[in-house]
Amino acid sequence: MITLGIDIGSTTSKAVLLEDGEKILAKKIVPLGTGTTGAQTVFENVLEMAGITPEQIDYALSTGYGRYSFELAKRQISEVSCHAKGIRFLVPTARTIVDIGGQDAKALSLAPNGALMNFVMNDKCAAGTGRFLDVMARVLDVKVEDMGDISELSTKEITINNTCTVFAESEVISRLSSNEKIADIIAGIHASVAKRVSGQALRVGVVDDVVMSGGVARNKGIVRAMEKEIGHKITVPEDCQLAGALGAALFAWDELLKEKNAG
Amino acid sequence: MANLEARLKEVKTIAKSPKAQLKKYLAAGKKVMGCFPMYVPEVIAHAAGMVPMGMWGAQTEQKLSKLYLPAFACPLMQSNMELGLRGTYEGVTAAMIPTMCDTFRCVSQNWKSGVKIPMISFSFPQNRKLQASVEFLETEYEHVKSCIEEILGTKITDEALENSVKIYNEHAKLMMKFAEIVPDHLDVITPTVRHEVMKSAMFVDKAEHIEIMKDIIAGLEARPAFNWTGKRVVLTGITAEPESFLKIFEDNGLAVVADDLGQEMRQYRTLIPDEGKTVMERIARQWNNRYACPLAHDEEFSRGDHLLDLCNKTKATGVVVCLMKFCDPEEYDFPLYNKQLRDAGIPSLSLDIDQQPTNYDQARTRLQAFAEIL
Repeated sequence: MITLGIDIGSTTSKAVLLEDGEKILAKKIVPLGTGTTGAQTVFENVLEMAGITPEQIDYALSTGYGRYSFELAKRQISEVSCHAKGIRFLVPTARTIVDIGGQDAKALSLAPNGALMNFVMNDKCAAGTGRFLDVMARVLDVKVEDMGDISELSTKEITINNTCTVFAESEVISRLSSNEKIADIIAGIHASVAKRVSGQALRVGVVDDVVMSGGVARNKGIVRAMEKEIGHKITVPEDCQLAGALGAALFAWDELLKEKNAG
Repeated sequence: MANLEARLKEVKTIAKSPKAQLKKYLAAGKKVMGCFPMYVPEVIAHAAGMVPMGMWGAQTEQKLSKLYLPAFACPLMQSNMELGLRGTYEGVTAAMIPTMCDTFRCVSQNWKSGVKIPMISFSFPQNRKLQASVEFLETEYEHVKSCIEEILGTKITDEALENSVKIYNEHAKLMMKFAEIVPDHLDVITPTVRHEVMKSAMFVDKAEHIEIMKDIIAGLEARPAFNWTGKRVVLTGITAEPESFLKIFEDNGLAVVADDLGQEMRQYRTLIPDEGKTVMERIARQWNNRYACPLAHDEEFSRGDHLLDLCNKTKATGVVVCLMKFCDPEEYDFPLYNKQLRDAGIPSLSLDIDQQPTNYDQARTRLQAFAEIL
């Protein structure tokens, strides 16, 4: 039995094909989000990778901001629940999840049995999200995926005080014009994101094991800054960015089992 | 007696177009008193023959209000200022504005300076349990009364006040009855319909609204109790609107079984008491008896208990906190009652409420995730 989980985010689309709720047949990330061809592309990509046709998918379930736009999905589940489910599959001991996506950041608290108990999301602005890093990378003329490595060259952390993305952008420009090193500025940017998001983690209560998911978790500098802020070691699974899609595929498997039991 | 369906249609129309109500009353030669949030002594204006109508802002873009208020001011006060400055409230004879919080204090001055509608300002004492506070509020209400008398050129008699108190208490009892039976009729009373019934009360003369509520209650009681299999939540905060926000509850199978909202049941759950030497003292004592509201200082801090009580009575398994953006009193309360809810095993979700047109994509995700937790 094959299930599809598709996570159509604000900046990327992710898909996972799962066999019998256990074996990942194919997984793919396309850097195009909701409202673009991203969802269709990532869908076609995983089909091709697994060598199957759409008809062979027994249940498709969607999540992410664009979850209502994927017609093949029989059900939609919030990305909050999907990330919890996906991460728990990847790290069975996870109790706290910090997920930083393109336009939101969330902290999730899981019960010992893995059930989602509580969550907090950013509300008033995009500070502390992937979008914040995108804006900063553009100003610094570096690739966002290189920011983690560059920050390792930092010798002193430059504090970025503004919460507002636009004001923080001006602050970074002003640091650049003061000839501060880019690596130091990036370390400051990472610390700024970590401060913002750690507040959310502290609100739900940090319990080990702490796991990060979402695309931003691939940035080593952010993970380091987060560990410093919350005082706990953070695990980052290899498929951190696919956790939502994986969770959706797992929920799809649960739905199939429910249908089977009901029938 | 109108049937339930017709009455629900009527309250929908009223809740959606208060301006039409205003025009209707003006055309009938009535004077309308604008009532800012919250707990203003509408009953005094009613006794003067006026129609008190709620002024709770609207979903609107803020432009003119920025001349007076910073961007981080309470959205309700921003939109009230905006509508006042824009002339939307034209036709209203006067507005009662209490000094409930810091923003209110500024707004009372801003209104005076920028809006042509006369303002009747007064203060609620926060040491509410002292006899002196009753006496103070009585004096404040006498001031409100004399302002109304001066504006209208008439006298408000004690007999008229007694009569209006009776009407207001009867109306409040009907609102309580409605809130009590809603959990048995969640097939008809969706979150949106429940809100429309509550909101319509602010734009109709209470004597008229009594008839509307009698028909709605009778219509509901004539129906068998509905077995709701979805999830049940309690709302708390100042307001929970607009319709597109409440629609998300419906889309996710969440029923609103009770509320602790300033715009809704907080107003009706405390009657004007029978005890008091004068009718004005009785009206003032209603403020003493109000409870579980951050705008009325509560030494016992009964809000957490009240929310738990509502959950128990209505079998709600979660509380949605409709947190008015930048509302300090509401924000200060949150950690206290949230801990009580958490300790009792009742999950809560806090959502920002604004009055500027916005999309609710994030609220949709959060409410869906909350429903999945419940």
